[in-house]
Amino acid sequence: MAQPLISIEHVSKVYRRDSLQIPVLDDIDLRIDKGEFVALMGPSGSGKTTLLNLCAGIDVPTRGRINIEGRDISSMKENDLARWRADHIGFIFQLYNLVPVLTAMENVELPLLLTKLSRKERHEHVRAALSIVGLADRMDHYPRQLSGGQEQRVAIARAIVADPLILVADEPTGDLDARSAEEILDLLNRLNKEFHKTIVMVTHDPRAAARAHRLLHLDKGVLSAETHAAAERGRESARP
Amino acid sequence: MKYFRYVWKNVFRKKGRAFLTMASIVLVLILIVILTSLLSAMEGTTGTGKGASHIVVQHATGLANFMPLAYRQRIEQIPGVVAVAPEVWFGGIYKDERPENFFGQLSTDPEVWGRIHDDFRLPEDQEKTWREQRDSFIAGKQLLEKYGWKIGDRIQLRGTYIPITLDLVLRGVYAGPDESNIFFHNKYLENARTFFSDKTGIFFLRTQTPEQVSAVCDGINRMFENSDAPVKAMPEKQFQLQFMEMMGNIKLLVRSIALTVLFTVVLIVANSVAMSARERVTQIAVIRALGFRRGQVLALVLSEAMVLAVLGGLFGIAIGVPVVKGLVSVMSHTPVAPFAYNVKITAANMLNAFGAAVAIGVLAGFVPAIRSARVSIVDGLRQVV
Repeated sequence: MAQPLISIEHVSKVYRRDSLQIPVLDDIDLRIDKGEFVALMGPSGSGKTTLLNLCAGIDVPTRGRINIEGRDISSMKENDLARWRADHIGFIFQLYNLVPVLTAMENVELPLLLTKLSRKERHEHVRAALSIVGLADRMDHYPRQLSGGQEQRVAIARAIVADPLILVADEPTGDLDARSAEEILDLLNRLNKEFHKTIVMVTHDPRAAARAHRLLHLDKGVLSAETHAAAERGRESARP
Repeated sequence: MKYFRYVWKNVFRKKGRAFLTMASIVLVLILIVILTSLLSAMEGTTGTGKGASHIVVQHATGLANFMPLAYRQRIEQIPGVVAVAPEVWFGGIYKDERPENFFGQLSTDPEVWGRIHDDFRLPEDQEKTWREQRDSFIAGKQLLEKYGWKIGDRIQLRGTYIPITLDLVLRGVYAGPDESNIFFHNKYLENARTFFSDKTGIFFLRTQTPEQVSAVCDGINRMFENSDAPVKAMPEKQFQLQFMEMMGNIKLLVRSIALTVLFTVVLIVANSVAMSARERVTQIAVIRALGFRRGQVLALVLSEAMVLAVLGGLFGIAIGVPVVKGLVSVMSHTPVAPFAYNVKITAANMLNAFGAAVAIGVLAGFVPAIRSARVSIVDGLRQVV
């Protein structure tokens, strides 16, 4: 059996707020293979985003281990983890989280500032990323000059510009109209199929979940169900 | 350098706030340039320049008491002394009592004046005429320009604490570092007054080298310490500073003002940078998620404060220099004119002011930068997601 890209073993997460202990994830076991497109669904407070954050290395588990490409990221030191994130993870947020004072090009360039690429090389990479998302002609536009869908596409360009293995998306269509949401999902599909990006996506939207290879349900911090070939069923149920 | 664009754009994210914060730094830096120039004039060493060999001797109890003229011969005997001139501050009224008509009026010995005032230039023929005519006087070039005097003009000075009126003819114009005084004959004053004609207000002298100043001062002080009229000899610059210090410990006051305004502007800039950083908690969490390390976030936020402070500092210095020059020009028409001539913008002053700007940046940016670097990625993202 091939080694999974992401291996989550007995992971629990407890948040501490003053004297309170809030358990969020309880003994999660999960394997995600390279090139998979996985959707995480569940009610609010079920631990979807926490699980996503753990996979992305922006949070650490209270117990258990997370191996990515065979490397235990749960025991990494903070600075090593930051470097690892820069190399391996692309982030897509619900509210895009672009820097408002930077142009599309400058926003996409941000992750490349951490590399040793020259200015010229960085700009070549940025152009390529913006071309993939169909916004090569909007490079000098500021976020306020773009529509929501365009902003999310710039955010996706920022996520892929450093060519990471894994894209983590936290409700990437949650703030978009139906048409823009479809465009973004098409783009994610393309990144998964053509560019072989492994995608882990949190969503409430069944149509978004339908694009995934696997659908994981979380409830009260526990993986409650796993659905394969959800795409077809999701499409069926999404039709009016 | 590749981060500069990011820093620059974040600094001017809210232009109004950035410009107001920078304006506060500019104003403070102008003040710092002025205050450091004043301080360096007060603290200026006497070891350089032609006036560095000048010594002023006054009565140990203060300028209100006069010293015997006979001291002159004894001071002249001290090794290293080039020449000694007894001088009296006349303090008379020219035209009226308005401050703009006030200038220094000193009686002196024209025979040795040129040898002592090696930092002044007086044409030889004018100096000769001045020596020969007891009712003549010489004036600084600046005073001529101010009052429109010409050689041969007559002026009257109505005495205040010396109750006589002097009627003087202008016979010479000198140029030098302090052109705000007139000098006239000791003998004319002695003839005109009927009391303490064997006394003088100060002795003004020059040593051969600036290095001898300290030893000569000590020698003079020791020579008269057990006499009826003990004296206090000091370098000329220290003598000038006395007038400033009559108003209290000016240096301490100036330093206190400088530190207070610096501290105030540090708080203003810190508040501005902190506000800016607080508004961008999510942005900071995002760049940390992208892979920026805590140290890099700290450096970015600190750089924002530095950009504000350094820009404000450069503008402040650029404006402060002409302001100080204007101030010197105004002061040169007042009783503190001799001090004003020592107020100069030096490279060291500008460097000090720039150092203050850098310090403002570091101090103001440090706390917000540390706070930003400590932002938890998860908490920062949760603010909007």
